[in-house]
Amino acid sequence: MPPEMIFLAALDGIAYGSLIFLVAVGLSLIFGVLGVLNVAHGSFYAIGAYVAASAVLAAGGMGLPTWLAFPLFLAAAILVGVVIGGLVEALLLRRIYGKEEVLQLLVTFAVFMILEDAQKVVFGVRPLFANAPMNWLGTVEVFGIFYTRYQLILIPLVALAVLVGLRLFLRRTSFGRAIVAVTQDREAAMAMGIDATRIYLFTFMIGASLAALGGALSSATTSLTPGIGSGMIVLSFAVAATAGLGRIEGAAVAALMIGLGRSIAVYFAPEFDVLIPYLIMVAVLLIKPEGLFTTVQTRKV
Amino acid sequence: MLEIMGLSAEIEGVQVLRQVDFALAEGATVALIGRNGAGKTSLLRAIMGFMKVTGGSIAFAGRALAEVKPHDRPRLGIGYAPEDRRLFSTFTIEENIRLPAEVMKVLPSEIARRLEGIYQVLPELADLRHRPAAGLSGGQGKMAALARALMVGQRLILLDEPFQGLAPVLAQRYAAALRALRDSHPDIALLITESNPSLLRNFAERAYAIERGEVTEVAGGLAASSLAAAGLH
Repeated sequence: MPPEMIFLAALDGIAYGSLIFLVAVGLSLIFGVLGVLNVAHGSFYAIGAYVAASAVLAAGGMGLPTWLAFPLFLAAAILVGVVIGGLVEALLLRRIYGKEEVLQLLVTFAVFMILEDAQKVVFGVRPLFANAPMNWLGTVEVFGIFYTRYQLILIPLVALAVLVGLRLFLRRTSFGRAIVAVTQDREAAMAMGIDATRIYLFTFMIGASLAALGGALSSATTSLTPGIGSGMIVLSFAVAATAGLGRIEGAAVAALMIGLGRSIAVYFAPEFDVLIPYLIMVAVLLIKPEGLFTTVQTRKV
Repeated sequence: MLEIMGLSAEIEGVQVLRQVDFALAEGATVALIGRNGAGKTSLLRAIMGFMKVTGGSIAFAGRALAEVKPHDRPRLGIGYAPEDRRLFSTFTIEENIRLPAEVMKVLPSEIARRLEGIYQVLPELADLRHRPAAGLSGGQGKMAALARALMVGQRLILLDEPFQGLAPVLAQRYAAALRALRDSHPDIALLITESNPSLLRNFAERAYAIERGEVTEVAGGLAASSLAAAGLH
């Protein structure tokens, strides 16, 4: 295989991996803090995409400038994460913490089914396509191939900003440190004055907003159809499991691995395209069942 | 200051505290002596709001604690050092100690002042302050947990079996730190649980014994004779 082909495949993989990372890191954060594997996470991605696309189309219809799409993406992501994510946590998930995992999976799966249908009712089943923001940013030429700046530069930059921002937020701000403390020991954190209920709510909103942001960004690159949420939840679960659930940097590395693996497969062995993420996941989990980046439990006494 | 009346609590249907009456005055040092499983930790956890209380009441500084959410109780000036330390392993020692004050939005200047006081009581922690909490020995961890409790415990500090599992030298160091704390902060009340009463003989002016969830005051404090009378030694 020629080296420039591998390079081009890598560029594709970075764009694709960045998008999966945004969704997977939210899933991983929620699992790390709340201990719940949120199957409804894919719905936040899908709803984020639909809300963003509808907003962009509406803004375009009103003759507003195209650059307005980018703040709209962010607003759509936060709106979906705070409103729908907040409602799901406060009304449903709050009742099932500490219950059996099977029950948690069933409840979040039920939420996923409900949101999936609600989304069809609200946005319809016809494909929605709002690629104006992507075209507006133009293209760059690499080795004679034209890439959109949107996919090659913007999406990876957003993913990088989320990775660095999340790390700084958790490490340097007192609210972020409170999240880390609750993750490690909920009762001890409450004895230090931390309102764990509030931390759970905000963490869930942040995680849901990240999924919705991934959806909003993807809305310009692809046509939206019912079912995009279920594809994404499976893929982002593969990333989060490969990394070790709850690992933020790990999710970035795993998303990149899976993104690169998949785009290299597209170039050189297209029949394995869809299979690659799961092959990588299986290979990693066979060797390290806890995931790539899980740290050893600290001793208690 | 702390008044517990007729307190009962249960864990998954099993009664672990039975009609406990208990009082603690401002600045007092009180020992709570009992075997493993007698209910020492349960009583402290009930004060912090982590137990299912089935009867009775806890009042702190005139307020009924039943109406104060668990995470608001430290804000009343109650510091808690759990038995198994429960430090946050990815934070440094100093981040652990500062955490409760930062959460409560204590002014930075006040945090610095409290930290200085804490390092005076526990000088060995000053050298370890930037070490990650995960790498601490058991004894160092106990000291760090005490320091963290001191950060918020401006009125009452609950220490759950602080000497448990400490090597004799470290136990002496810990005891010296407690004495230094007594001298420098005479207005803070201390409630210390222990299974071995001899370790607390030098501090506690009053002592209670707990057995199968029932608390009785040990007449005359922790003098050896009364302990023998209480059947605990």
